[in-house]
Amino acid sequence: MEFCFLRILKLTMKVLVMLLLFLGNIKNSTAYFSSSSEATMHTNNWAVLVCTSRFWFNYRHMANTLSLYRTVKRLGIPDERIILMLADDMACNARNKYPAQVFNNENHRLNLYGDNVEVDYRGYEVTVENFLRVLTGRHETAVPRSKRLLSDEGSHILLYMTGHGGDEFLKFQDSEELQSHDLADAVKQMKEKGRFKELLIMVDTCQASTLFSQLQSPGVLAIGSSMKGENSYSHHLDSDVGVSVVDRFTFYTLAFFERLNIYDNASLSSLFNSYNPNLLMSTAYYRRDLYQRHLEEVPVTNFFGSVMETIHTDSAYTSLTNKNFGGAKTKTFLGQSFSSSDINSVRNSDDEDQFNNLTAEEDQHDEAGQCIFCAMDSGHLWSFILGNVITHESVDFFVCYGLVLMLPLLVFSTWLSL
Amino acid sequence: MEEISNFPLNPEPPEEESPQSQMHESTPDRKTMRTTKPGIKRLILSLTVLFSFIIGFPFLWKSIEIYRAPLPFDRIESFSSQLESDPLHFPCRFQAIFVGFDFSASRGLGPNDVAAAITRKMSQLNPNSSRCGNCIGGDYDVSVVIDSGSSCAQTEGSEAKCPLKCGEVVFGGKLSDEDFDEMLKRCLGNVGGGGKGYSVVVFNGDKEEGEVRAVVGKYRHAWVLGHVSEDEAVSRTAEIFARVFMNAGSEGNSIRSEFMPVGADGRIVLSFSLLNAEPQDWIYDWSFHEIDKTLLHPVIQALQPIANITVESQVLYYTPKSSFSYWDDIHGSHIFSTKDLPFFLNSNEWHLDTSVAAGGRSKVLQLVVYIPSAKECPLQLELPNGDLSKTNGFISPMWGGVVVWNPESCVKDLESKDPDRRVISPQNLQKLFEVLMGQLRQLLGLKSDNLYVGQSGAYILLGSERGFTEWELDVLSGKHVCFNLHSCATTLGSLSRLVQSLPRMIIIDEIGKQVKFSLEAAKFAQSYASTGIYNASAVSSRQARSLVEDAFFHPSIMSISYYSFEHCFAIYSPFFLPVTMHVILAALREWKRYKQENRKYLAWKAKERIVS
Repeated sequence: MEFCFLRILKLTMKVLVMLLLFLGNIKNSTAYFSSSSEATMHTNNWAVLVCTSRFWFNYRHMANTLSLYRTVKRLGIPDERIILMLADDMACNARNKYPAQVFNNENHRLNLYGDNVEVDYRGYEVTVENFLRVLTGRHETAVPRSKRLLSDEGSHILLYMTGHGGDEFLKFQDSEELQSHDLADAVKQMKEKGRFKELLIMVDTCQASTLFSQLQSPGVLAIGSSMKGENSYSHHLDSDVGVSVVDRFTFYTLAFFERLNIYDNASLSSLFNSYNPNLLMSTAYYRRDLYQRHLEEVPVTNFFGSVMETIHTDSAYTSLTNKNFGGAKTKTFLGQSFSSSDINSVRNSDDEDQFNNLTAEEDQHDEAGQCIFCAMDSGHLWSFILGNVITHESVDFFVCYGLVLMLPLLVFSTWLSL
Repeated sequence: MEEISNFPLNPEPPEEESPQSQMHESTPDRKTMRTTKPGIKRLILSLTVLFSFIIGFPFLWKSIEIYRAPLPFDRIESFSSQLESDPLHFPCRFQAIFVGFDFSASRGLGPNDVAAAITRKMSQLNPNSSRCGNCIGGDYDVSVVIDSGSSCAQTEGSEAKCPLKCGEVVFGGKLSDEDFDEMLKRCLGNVGGGGKGYSVVVFNGDKEEGEVRAVVGKYRHAWVLGHVSEDEAVSRTAEIFARVFMNAGSEGNSIRSEFMPVGADGRIVLSFSLLNAEPQDWIYDWSFHEIDKTLLHPVIQALQPIANITVESQVLYYTPKSSFSYWDDIHGSHIFSTKDLPFFLNSNEWHLDTSVAAGGRSKVLQLVVYIPSAKECPLQLELPNGDLSKTNGFISPMWGGVVVWNPESCVKDLESKDPDRRVISPQNLQKLFEVLMGQLRQLLGLKSDNLYVGQSGAYILLGSERGFTEWELDVLSGKHVCFNLHSCATTLGSLSRLVQSLPRMIIIDEIGKQVKFSLEAAKFAQSYASTGIYNASAVSSRQARSLVEDAFFHPSIMSISYYSFEHCFAIYSPFFLPVTMHVILAALREWKRYKQENRKYLAWKAKERIVS
């Protein structure tokens, strides 16, 4: 009974929020694209890793994010270019049997919360507002550099988010929601201001693909763990810790990256093809219509690692010491040597096989890991109507007519009451 | 409120409205007429309430209004369109002085013809000179002085002294290039109004002079010495003007707009780091204070118009590189190749970013000196063609540069238990600094070769102890002004679109002011540019950009914090709509009733009149 009531409440809330959001975003839909040149060189890599869930039973979301953090750091993105947002502190949770440690596997081989973990936004700092501030760069003056995304038009940004989500939203802190419109709006503003060259959005949440539906900025590639109407499941339960420790999508992403080092040339398409729907128990979805390059030609290190574009320094500026060192020695170097990131030489380096022992049973998934918030089936009807009946142009008309229609109703009801 | 809402709820039936009418016996039909005037108390009451609502509406409207500082949208629009249609150009004056030539005798050409020939040649060499930040394309302001020894001719309007007074010194004594440069500056310095013109002096020497020596000085002068034909003199002059002075020797595309490592607030933080890969082997230190004072200071001064530069330095220990190197017997050193460079940087061990002092949007450029461990010493960079790199360094655009510096002796002191502390000698430090300077120039888009090979010969480029020659600074300033103004225009455009797309967003006064000042600064930059004042123009354009960036990134602009008008309507309509409806309906009803009753009264009156 109580559940039913809650369900109805949630539904109405959702409808209300969607309506408000719709109203709020009508005016924002004017597309503005900058005419920046496409020839910009890729010069640096950034990563924004976000865990949006609080509470102990969402342990796995923090483990997901920390695993990704470890991976991108291993592949060369320095700490000052990683914005790590963790909504809760599982390592110090009183229920944690392994204090100050976080594991993403029941074999407990790898402590994700070891040395050199720089959390930029922690606990209640992880809000939709702060997240959007990080993306758009609109901070208070006092916010230090380490908490800012100081990317430029040559940056590749990896945006990883995990938490509980649903149709076109992602919950933050169990209290607010990031809507697909908000995300699209922030990305559009980033593009407008030249804050990225290419952006890879990776989302591990239920119905993750719906979060990308409003994106329209070029250079954005999006991958989600599940299609609309699908849940994303956790991978396995750690009986020592007592909760599930990793999500399926992230688990297989990590499994892919554990085979790689910074010299590898594995392409994004090989990453995308590595997801097996039977193992994920959901369909990984990627949206690539906004992305210009062929995925076969883009190495994963373009987003998950940092391979720097380097140019050899041909000559020193000698004239400073001309007087000391006699006449100017003339030298000519007319050819500049470019070493582009595409010529990644494959090296047999020390294979770090911390993850190689990820040998949990594949079919063991716990019910607790299911998304609670994905089960809003009747919400589909509303979004179906919104999606199909109302195109963006007719929204204004729809709203105006709706309001006009309300007036006679009101008059009628008032008249009746007299 | 209670009064209003109660009012329509207790409507008295109209029949009981006028008790006086019952007293009148002569009324035949109470349905159609009445003997007394209808009361207007209720009508007045309901209309008062309605009017108070109507009067109150503007107050409500005012109270829910949000403050939006007025932004000059039309000025933003006109600024961007003007920048689009009319790219920014600097006026440049070019002056060619030919000493010992006689164009009129040999070719029958006057100075004006020679000037036209040079202009033509320059246009050929620089076809895309209409690019923003360049000299005014098409018609270059070229003046020519021809001093043939016996006679002297010049184009009209030329400000040069004719004949050139310092010409005779040239062949008298052998001067070094630097002294020659200084001398030319002395005698040409006043030429061209404030020394902003570029000059090339061609001295025709004898055949036995040997090879032709063409030098570009560190101010805005160049000279060609030796036996050159008239044609060659003209083409060399044109090439120096078009390729060197206007493009800083670059081939057009090597300076790209994205290679502008200046922060949005117009600041650069130069962060110098000395990395000791393995302090167990040796620990090097440097007297950075000395470098800062003697070598770096003039450079920062020179770049002052382009960016506000601050310097910091640090020495780090235990910073191994992350790429591989191998021992090479031929070179007798450890080798790392250019294709390993992308992996050289060890981001996990090199904690370079200490720039707490740097503001949010400043640019930090890392300049790193890497000292290898004894195991991999000496460490050399191999180029793709098999040669060893002269500089042993590389840059990463927008990030900074790395130089590998090998200690003189790679032998580790095995006996001592204490760490082997050493200091880089001033000579080595100076050499190191030259490479770092070359990297800084490279990051800014300038080459550091001291020889430019053009179509008509090679030109020696003299360097300046300030790190940048004056003509290089002109080119840099031009590019930066252009980049800043364009960035300013696009940001202003984005901001105005954003602001217009969110009509319920509060725009605080600060944003309005920033936009206004930014537009003003941009105007100043344009006007300075049109008069050829590079430095002031660069400073103003930087200001314009940083102000508009501040406005755009103002923390109060967050779409999520604001709701649309529809949302506002949705909030207030439940409060007011039902009440308003009742008030309007009540007023209407009262009005109708009054009219009806009044008609009855009038009918009775008319009847009375007939009766009487």
